[in-house]
Amino acid sequence: MDFLAQERDRLLRSTTRVVGITCALVSVVAVVSSLAVPLVPLLAGLACIAVMIAALALFGVHGSVWWTALALASGLAALLLLLAGTGPDLRPVVASAVVPLAAGSLSAPLMTYRTSLVGLGLTAAAGVVSLVVVSWATGSVLSAPVGGVALGWVLLATVAVWIARSIPRVARRIQSIGTAHRAERQASETEAQRRQGARLLHDTVLATLTLLAHSGVGVSEQAMREQAAEDARLLRHLRLGATPQPQQSGDYSLTRAEESPLGQTLESVKQRFGRMGLEVSWHGTGQVLLPTHVLDAFLLALGECLENVRRHAGVGEAHVTIVHDQETVRAMVTDSGVGFELDAVGAERLGFKESVVNRLREVGGDAKLFSAPGSGTTVVLEAPR
Amino acid sequence: MSRTPEDTISRGLPGETVQAAPRTRREARERYRGNERRQARGLPSTSTGARSLRQAAKPGASLGAGYLGLGAAVLAAIEAVAGIAFFLVRAPELTDPWLPAAAWALYVVAAIAVGLSLMTYGERLTGTAFALICVVLACVVTLDFVGIHPEHDLAGTASASVAAGFALLPVATLRPAREVAGAIVVLGAAFVAMALVSTPITSDTLPGLVSMLALVVVPPSIALFVVHRFRQLVQRELDRVLVQSNVQAPQFAVGMLASDELARLDLAAEKLLDAVANGTDPLPLSDASSSVAASLATELRLHLIEGRRETWLYHAITESDQLGRSVTVTDPQSLAGHLSPAQRDGLLQALWQMVGDGRTSQPGSPVVSVTLGPIGSDGHPVTDERMDVPVVFESRGVPRRRLGPTAWSALQRIGPYTDSVRDGVLHVVAHCVVDRHPTM
Repeated sequence: MDFLAQERDRLLRSTTRVVGITCALVSVVAVVSSLAVPLVPLLAGLACIAVMIAALALFGVHGSVWWTALALASGLAALLLLLAGTGPDLRPVVASAVVPLAAGSLSAPLMTYRTSLVGLGLTAAAGVVSLVVVSWATGSVLSAPVGGVALGWVLLATVAVWIARSIPRVARRIQSIGTAHRAERQASETEAQRRQGARLLHDTVLATLTLLAHSGVGVSEQAMREQAAEDARLLRHLRLGATPQPQQSGDYSLTRAEESPLGQTLESVKQRFGRMGLEVSWHGTGQVLLPTHVLDAFLLALGECLENVRRHAGVGEAHVTIVHDQETVRAMVTDSGVGFELDAVGAERLGFKESVVNRLREVGGDAKLFSAPGSGTTVVLEAPR
Repeated sequence: MSRTPEDTISRGLPGETVQAAPRTRREARERYRGNERRQARGLPSTSTGARSLRQAAKPGASLGAGYLGLGAAVLAAIEAVAGIAFFLVRAPELTDPWLPAAAWALYVVAAIAVGLSLMTYGERLTGTAFALICVVLACVVTLDFVGIHPEHDLAGTASASVAAGFALLPVATLRPAREVAGAIVVLGAAFVAMALVSTPITSDTLPGLVSMLALVVVPPSIALFVVHRFRQLVQRELDRVLVQSNVQAPQFAVGMLASDELARLDLAAEKLLDAVANGTDPLPLSDASSSVAASLATELRLHLIEGRRETWLYHAITESDQLGRSVTVTDPQSLAGHLSPAQRDGLLQALWQMVGDGRTSQPGSPVVSVTLGPIGSDGHPVTDERMDVPVVFESRGVPRRRLGPTAWSALQRIGPYTDSVRDGVLHVVAHCVVDRHPTM
């Protein structure tokens, strides 16, 4: 509310300035065009109006009560000089010319001082004086200029009250929008976490999409369809807010158990690659319990390695040996494929660094790559238990 | 199978040019932003925040304008009462008081009709309704002018026609400024023409004419100004309140847009996979479909690896129209995520104060830069549990003396600070002591 109060004051101040200066300028034009005021009081009056305009401009910037006092004093002085300096016969003409000054410029500070007693008192006093002066000049309390001045004061007071009341109202509406927005943000953050948490699901979806990006070349049509149907089903479950549960061995378990056994998930990786034409043979232990995030990283890295074998090695078989001790679990992915020159093909180009090494390092593990042209490739993956 | 070693992340067919996938995260993000479904602010277009921002930025009626319009209607009513009193006082002197009386009757009837229709149909004014109001006002002005023409004293006799200017006050809150400005100009021109035709221009009559012209033209013009400023205020406040929701965000967040994006990508992938599964998209896939799969895979991967690396501060700055334009943040270690809600609030408040009203700066040049860290520098001790993050502000937006107590108390909420001015640039270094292991 602090910020808004500041903004409200700034709005009211700049309105004060615009109203005050515009009305003063209109009066200047009217007074000069009347040709009624003798030169000396005219120049003195215009000088006072110039001071008033300057004071209003500075007031718009700083909002100090002294600038208001100066503006009011110089405005009243201009009013008196112009009216008293004119002969009685022409005085009503000048009075009609200074109506904007008396009605607009002098009443404008009302908008800023709704609460400050000093400012309000000063402005109200100036209002009374200007009404008295204009009544004296026109010779009647019921003349049109007096009515005009009174009308100006009433209108400006209404404006002041109304703008000040509008702002808290709109602020309440904005606050309620803000509350709704905060709730939406929390909901969307939770939703994003849920979706990002389903990393294994996204891994199989990404693998399938990547295959489809190559028009599904290299995989039997039937296998491709089955895989696509399976992944679409998982995505649908995710969308409907359910946590996808395994219904057959080809699924990943997406329950966020604190620790998950490695064995059953390895079997699903094997089945997925089996459908795409890469026979994966497991060797070594099957039942290792890993924390969920380690398991995720480990399986994703393993999946990337096997995907590389499938696409680049030129063979239909890969071997994965898993060993573990008290601290770490290791997987060795080997193929007897074409291999490659490690220096000639940067590890980055295989997506190795991003998808494998970085993933494992995030959970405190590591990966090493060994290969030579014609003698296959071996990747060693390590993750802490 | 291709012998060329190929990134498993890469997508796309050899020689494909149709859909170049974004190469960098930034590029991907820019691309999503360019999507017309989305807004540049990092909010999904269907969210409450984005809808409210759109509504507030729309020309014409906007948030809070209704109540302001009611106030303007009260002003117009006060003026009408004064005008009718003025007319009744002068009526016996007029040769033909019936035409101005008819003008007043038309004015009052039209005002009541417009008021009733606004109360019935809500705070809206269609283009047709606005045109109708203009026609009615033109009739009012014409009737009044014809009626007072024989007096040859426009300033002394015009009443209902002056009220037509005030009738534009409530309209100014409901219609785009350009249309209202047009109406004001036409009305002013009509008065000038009428003055030239009906009244002898002498030094006796001119002051009254100038005052009256001002009475007709100035109030609606000022109303346009006030409405404009009011809308700016509403937009700034809305911006600020929406951004404020980041104060409660977790240490790292994906942001609302990324979350929406992820849901969209998942849905698109699901549709594509479904189409493949039930044979709608025959295998092998067409080039078009496979390139869709490729770009989906890339975007999805970007969103998944993007993870939660961005802090609330990043989201706050990108989501805000005003802060986004004038603030740059350097936070390579993502230290902002460690700040407590109170410290975040202080930081945001200080930024809002330093940005000022944003008019002093050239567009495109940031006026405030914030640097968080590096931790462990001189005078900023780090222990096992807590660390002192240096938060450095460099502000060119608002001069030091213009920063009010609000700004300094906001800085105080971040932590103890020192400030200095060099070459007109305000430097503030705050010691922000945070928990090294935030729970948020």
